[in-house]
Formats: sequence, structure tokens, C-alpha cells
Amino acid sequence: MNVFNLEIVTPIRGALDKGQVGYVRCPGLDGSFGIMANHQEGIFALTVGEIKLTRDGQDEFLATGGGFAEIMGHTVKLLVESVEKSSEIDAQRAEKSLDRARTRKSEQDSELNEVRIEASLTRALNRLRVSKR
Amino acid sequence: MANLKDIRDRIKSVKSIQKVTKAMKMVAAAKMRRAQERMEQSRPYSNSLAEVIQHLLPDVDREMLPLLDVRDVKRKAYVVVSADRGLAGAFNTNLLKIAQKEIDEFGKENVDLFCIGKKSRDHFKRRDYNIIESHVEFWAEMKFENAMMIGRSIIDHFTSGQVDEIHVAYNYFLNIAHQEVKSESLLPLVYESVEGVSHNRLYEPSKEELVTSLIPRHLNVQMWKYLLESYASEQAARMLSMENATSNAQDMIKDLTLQFNKARQAAITTEMLEIVGGAEALGK
Repeated sequence: MNVFNLEIVTPIRGALDKGQVGYVRCPGLDGSFGIMANHQEGIFALTVGEIKLTRDGQDEFLATGGGFAEIMGHTVKLLVESVEKSSEIDAQRAEKSLDRARTRKSEQDSELNEVRIEASLTRALNRLRVSKR
Repeated sequence: MANLKDIRDRIKSVKSIQKVTKAMKMVAAAKMRRAQERMEQSRPYSNSLAEVIQHLLPDVDREMLPLLDVRDVKRKAYVVVSADRGLAGAFNTNLLKIAQKEIDEFGKENVDLFCIGKKSRDHFKRRDYNIIESHVEFWAEMKFENAMMIGRSIIDHFTSGQVDEIHVAYNYFLNIAHQEVKSESLLPLVYESVEGVSHNRLYEPSKEELVTSLIPRHLNVQMWKYLLESYASEQAARMLSMENATSNAQDMIKDLTLQFNKARQAAITTEMLEIVGGAEALGK
């Protein structure tokens, strides 16, 4: 399998994952899309979801809070606001924050909060799902 | 000459103050190192984001984006990033002085303020400036969410047309010994266009939509950077001033000990003279 450079960059943890991978699947706005070597250049928005990457035949899964993917030449850069490897996620904590989001949803009052509560609910669900990989 | 007990008490109190300043110095040093690390970690993201925007902008119609909109400047907003606490040398004073001067030059009635840190809020509140929002007491557990929250309200203030320009005044972390007060303009964004980017690129969603969601993120990261720079500077300034305080206390202890010994010697001398005088009087 042809390989290409992957960089994952986050504001809090810096440049995380550098290296050669064969395949990346990202959560785009209209559903997941895959990137392989020699992909056409471009910029894509990412949403909350799961990133899958294949390195040396091994699959790795990451939960992300959304961001952007830029393909330039043979390098793919993922600029994401948060990212966690499936093995790093504490399933219990994810479950707790999901519960918290659910309670908040049931007792929320204002319009503005609705969007944010919904977002935190999706994030919590996503982390929980990825943690089970 | 001061009496012995007074001097002893003073030495004791100076010593206990020295202990406090020493501890504060160590705490500040540890916090500064952490802030520095975070600063370094946030750099790749902000650089990459700026790059992506630069690659994108030549292809985009500037008029369409409210955040790139350059208007006549009738009102300005200032974001003043200070600390929550003092005892950090001239850290807060310098910043507030410079910020106030700039604001006064433009006219304080035409300036909206976003105060970050207690010191800046209290300073401008006392002087009756027009404070829109203040954020205090989050430094201890500073998170990226803080920056996002502050960023969001600032962007709203600009896009809704309430102000035509946004400035940020903060302490820039040059190195441990030097911090510099900087005043930068944050909005409207000015970008230089770069050449040589291929036009055969995919965009999903459209370029315009991408830019409109990229730029607020960029501003959040910018805001995060300001917070980190300021925090690191604060701790560095505090470390230095506490270092000075500790060595001043050391000098003071030295002086006082000398004084104490002199006084003690003098007391012994007088006592001996009295005994000798007494013995002589008896012997006669």
C-alpha cells in the first residue's frame, strides 16, 4: 500500500501524530470520507466523529471534536480541536459526561444553550463509541 | 540605639517574610514552566491554521466575509489582558498604563472594553470606563474553552457592527527576564496573499463556508495565545520580583544582625564598666 505523511495538530497537545500511514478515514460534514496516497489537494471541514487510520496494516481509532483536513502534496494535515486515541479514552468518564449532558438537556431552559448542550451530547456519545473500539 | 528585643523581633519577622517570598518564587517558577510548555504546544496548531487560511484566501472574495471587512473606525474595542493578582513587579502597572494611554488617545467614550483579569477590571471600573465584559478567576484552571468563550463574544461584538476595530493589549513573553507590553490589532483580519497555490483543489463545503468557519477558530487560537503569553509573563514577572524580595530580605537580615551584635556588644561593655567601677569603689 502506498503511504503518505499524516500530521495531527491540536491547540492543546501540539503536533501529535506524525508518520507514514496508508489510509485515513475522516468524519466530513456530509459523512465519512477516506484519503489514500496521491489524493487530490484540498481542504475539508470535519465534524465530531471518529478518525480511522491504517499504519503498517494496523488500524487505529481516534475520537475528534471536529476541525479541518488539508491535503497538500503528499502530506495530510488534520487540524482538530480535540483528539483522543481510543485506548486513551476513559469509558467510565465518557459515560459520566454523557449522563451529565443528558440531565442538562432534560432541564435546559434557554434557546442558546440548546445548541451547546446538543453539541456536548454528540461529543460524549462519540467518545463513548470510539472508546469501545 | 534600638533595644535588643526589638531588633531580634524584626529579624524574626523579616525571616518569615523571606520564607514566604521564597515559596512564592518557587510556585511562580513551576507555573511558568507549565505555561511555557503549553505555549510551545499551541504553536504548531496556530501556525498550521494560519497557513491553511493563507492558502485559501487568494481564492476567496474578501467582500463576502464580515470578519475581513475594513470599515471606517468610529468605535474601537480593547481587550486588556492582565493578571488576577499583584505582587508581580510592574507587570500589571505597565500594561494598564499603556492600555489606558491608547484608549484615552482615541477617546474613552468611543471605546468598549473587554477586561481579562481582576486587575484590569478593577482599574477600569474605578475610572468609569465602558466595560462590556470581564473575565476573572479562570487562570488557575485555564482551558481552551475560556479562550473560545472570550473569542466568541469578541467576534460577535465586531460582526454586529458595534465596533470597527478590535485591539488586544497584553504582555508578550520574550524570555524569563523580559516581558513586553504589546498592543495588536486583532480584527479586521489582514492577510497577505501568497502565490503559487494550485487552483485545482477540492473544497468541502464551499470555500466561503470554509473560511467563515476557519477564521473564528483562528481567532480563538489567537485568543488562547494571548492568554498563555500573558500568564507566562505574569509568572515570570512574579518570579523575578519575588527573587528580588528574597535577596532584599537577606540584605536586611544581614544589616539587622550586625546592628544586633553591636547593640549586644555595647550592652556587655557598659555592664563590664559598671562591674569594674563597682569593684574599684569597693577595693578603696
